[in-house]
Parts: sequence; structure tokens; C-alpha cells
Amino acid sequence: MCSESMFYGSNWDPIVSLSQSGNFGNSSIVSQSEFANPLMLENQAMGGSLAQFHSDSGLVDLVPRLPNFGSGSSFSEMVTSFGHNPDSSPNLQKGATQDHCPNSDGGMLGASPYGKRKREREVQQGASPKSGEEKQCKDPSGDTSREDDKRKQKSEKGVARGKQAKDDRSGAEPSKEDYIHVRAKRGQATNSHSLAERVRRERISERMRLLQELVPGCNKITGKAMMLDEIINYVQSLQQQVEFLSMKLATVNPELNMDIDRLLSKDILQLHGGNTTPLGVSPGMGSSIPFPPYLQGSFNNAPGTGPPFHSLPQQHVWNTELQGLLQMGFDPDPSGIMGRSGSSKMEL
Amino acid sequence: MNIQPPNSSSIKSRFAVKFVQAMKRLSKRRGMGDRYKRYRATRAAARVSLAAAVGPERAWSRAVLRRIKKRRGLIGRTTTNPRRNLRGLVPGGKGMDYCSLLSETAHYITCLQAQVQVMQDMLHLSSP
Repeated sequence: MCSESMFYGSNWDPIVSLSQSGNFGNSSIVSQSEFANPLMLENQAMGGSLAQFHSDSGLVDLVPRLPNFGSGSSFSEMVTSFGHNPDSSPNLQKGATQDHCPNSDGGMLGASPYGKRKREREVQQGASPKSGEEKQCKDPSGDTSREDDKRKQKSEKGVARGKQAKDDRSGAEPSKEDYIHVRAKRGQATNSHSLAERVRRERISERMRLLQELVPGCNKITGKAMMLDEIINYVQSLQQQVEFLSMKLATVNPELNMDIDRLLSKDILQLHGGNTTPLGVSPGMGSSIPFPPYLQGSFNNAPGTGPPFHSLPQQHVWNTELQGLLQMGFDPDPSGIMGRSGSSKMEL
Repeated sequence: MNIQPPNSSSIKSRFAVKFVQAMKRLSKRRGMGDRYKRYRATRAAARVSLAAAVGPERAWSRAVLRRIKKRRGLIGRTTTNPRRNLRGLVPGGKGMDYCSLLSETAHYITCLQAQVQVMQDMLHLSSP
């Protein structure tokens, strides 16, 4: 069903847009029927945005688990726990639902604490955690972990709204403690160790993202291990390049005095395509230093083909590689593997 | 802990100046024929100039400068192809925690890119 896929959609944006359209104003009902609201809202304000969720294969598993509100076994828990809502205080409610599924969400929520934390900062007091817990209890499987990740990631974007619907999966205890900015995940200890651990993980992922931008061709790669390999390759290739260039510079004997001025002017003016002549290859050079395979792979191939890192040969003939390197012009690589972030291509 | 990445052009100009000076000194030195020694000296000069251009504000440049002062194996580091470990690649990476290792790597990559650019420009200028 559209509504269900919408609800557990990988993209919170439609729900955000829904709230913006003013349909989300009935906050009084939210506490009781957290699930119902988005569903109803979707029905009211179905944009074309729903279409994007149909194609989300990740939701397919989830769809049958989300029958219409009030029907279906998976919601039965929720319904029963909803039944408690008017009776008990939010704390009790949370306690009850916490007992039901304390463990289920440990794995689920582990994936993206960053998003969750951001979302939880926007937590409005009141009903949201209750329904959130119920929902968590409902779906203890690993399917929701994906949804959680996507949702949390999306919620980072839409976080400013502070809608309650997004707090469904927020941690159990947090609603009272809005002054604590780092929330413990549901089912996880709130002691300083795990919090510090989460902060650390957040920092690491931040750095990894920064590195991802620096290293060219890393946009498609996801996963820390592969990213690290990529980074290591890149650093090695840069270092090899420096060695290669220093060997060349060592043979080009006298550094002319005008070098400094021209060098600096080159930096300042950012000459584009100033030197079009390829370097003369000095035959006296040995080939002991392997040509940076990184560059070789990424530039000499067609731009469409990704750099075949692992299959790059280790030894190249200097002449051909050098000319290949020189004639590249860095056109295919906009990010500039040579680090020419500011300048356009430079003809070698 | 997150210092912003360096301004590429400032590093480039600083490195360029220092490196050219070092190369001049190198060419004037005796015993530097067209040999392997010259290459090693050039490479060392490149590394040192880059670290000097960056200054002591980053851990990796501090590590490089420390190694020079101790006169330990500054030159032989890269040729021995350290194991595929980020800690082995980034200077000073052995004693760092993972978070700072990553940020140092980012800065190091930026500086390496600047260095490569400058050296390429030098090559083009000197023998077009």
C-alpha cells in the first residue's frame, strides 16, 4: 500500500512536506495515533512524492508488515499499547513498552546514531516517545534497520521541523531529558562509555566523509573498509608521484633564477593550459620507481571506466606512462587527481 | 579538534619558495653529481620543505620535522613501501588515535596534492 510504504518510507521528505502543508496540525491526536496521522496525511496530501517510494525495494519487506491501522497482527501490539495511553503517564508507558522489546532495537539503532541524535534534539515533549516505542516493539527484525538508517539519515535533513512523527524511533527514555543532547539509543546503556563511543563514531564518520570528498572517485564507494583502501591507495600514489617528480627534478639540473617568480605567478594567476608541450623524456632515467598506477588507471582509460585499482600493473615503461600522464590534461577528472582543486585542466 | 583544511595556494607558495631554495642549495653542493644521491637529496628536500611550509600546527608536519632533527631515517621511509596501513603512510601516524589519524590524513592529502602541483609546475618551467 502506498500509505505504508510512505510511512516507513526511506524518505521522510514527503511527510515533511505533508506537515508543511498544514495537515499535521492535529497534534492532539498524534499522541494516540502516531501511526495514523501520517497515513491519514498521506491520503490527504499525496503528492507525486509517493512514487519514489514504490521503487524502494527496501520497503517491500516492510509493506506487508504495515497493514492499515488497526488491522493486522503487527499492529496489534501497537493497538494494545495504545490502549494504555490514556491511562498511564508517558513514563509508565515507556516503561511498559521498553520491557517488551528492549533488545530488538539494539541492533537496529546501532546503525546511525548520528541521525538519531540529531532528531532527538528536536523532540517535543509528550506523546511521541510512546508511540515510538510501540513501533519499535512492533518491528524487531532486521528489516527495520535499513528503514531506520534511511529514516534517520533523512531526518537529519528535515530535523528542523521537530515533528513528532520523526521521533518514532527515538530512544525510549529521552523524552523527559530534553536537555541532554546526546540520547541513548533504545535498549542501550546510557552510561558515559556508550555515549562517548557514539560521539567517537560520529567523529570518525565525519572525518571519513571529509576524506571521501578529498579522494577523487570515492563518491560511489560506501563502506569504511573500501574507503580506507581507497585512501591508502591515493596517499601511496601521491607519495610515489612526489618521488617520481623529485627524480625528474634532480636530473633537470640548474634551477633557473626566474623559476621562483614564474612559479609564484603561476600559482597566483592559475595559468590554464600554459604549457602545452609535453616534457621531454630523459632516457637516462631508470624505471625502478613504478609509475603511479593510480593515475595511470584513472586517466588513461576512458573516463567512463572506473579506475581498476586492483588490476593495475605495478611496472610500467617510463616513456609511455610519462607521455600518457602528460597528455592527459586532467580533463576526465573534474576533481583533479593532481589536486588542482582551483584550477582547470593544465596541459602537460 | 577539527582544524579546517589548509588554504591550498598558501601552502603551494610557501612550499615552492622553500623547495626552490633547497634545490638551489643542493645544486651548489659538492658531491652531487648526476647520481642517485641527488635524487635522494631532492626527495628529502621536497619532504622537508613541505613540512616546513605547513609548520608545526599539524601532527604530521611536526613528526617530519622531529625526524629531521633526530637525523634518523628520514629518507628511507617511503622507498621501503610500508605496509598497506594508513598509520604507516602518514608521518607520525603510529602514535595517534584513529580520529586524529583521519583528520591528519585529510590535511596530509591536501598538502601532498599541493606539493605535486608545485613540483609539476617547476618541471614544466625548467624544461619546456
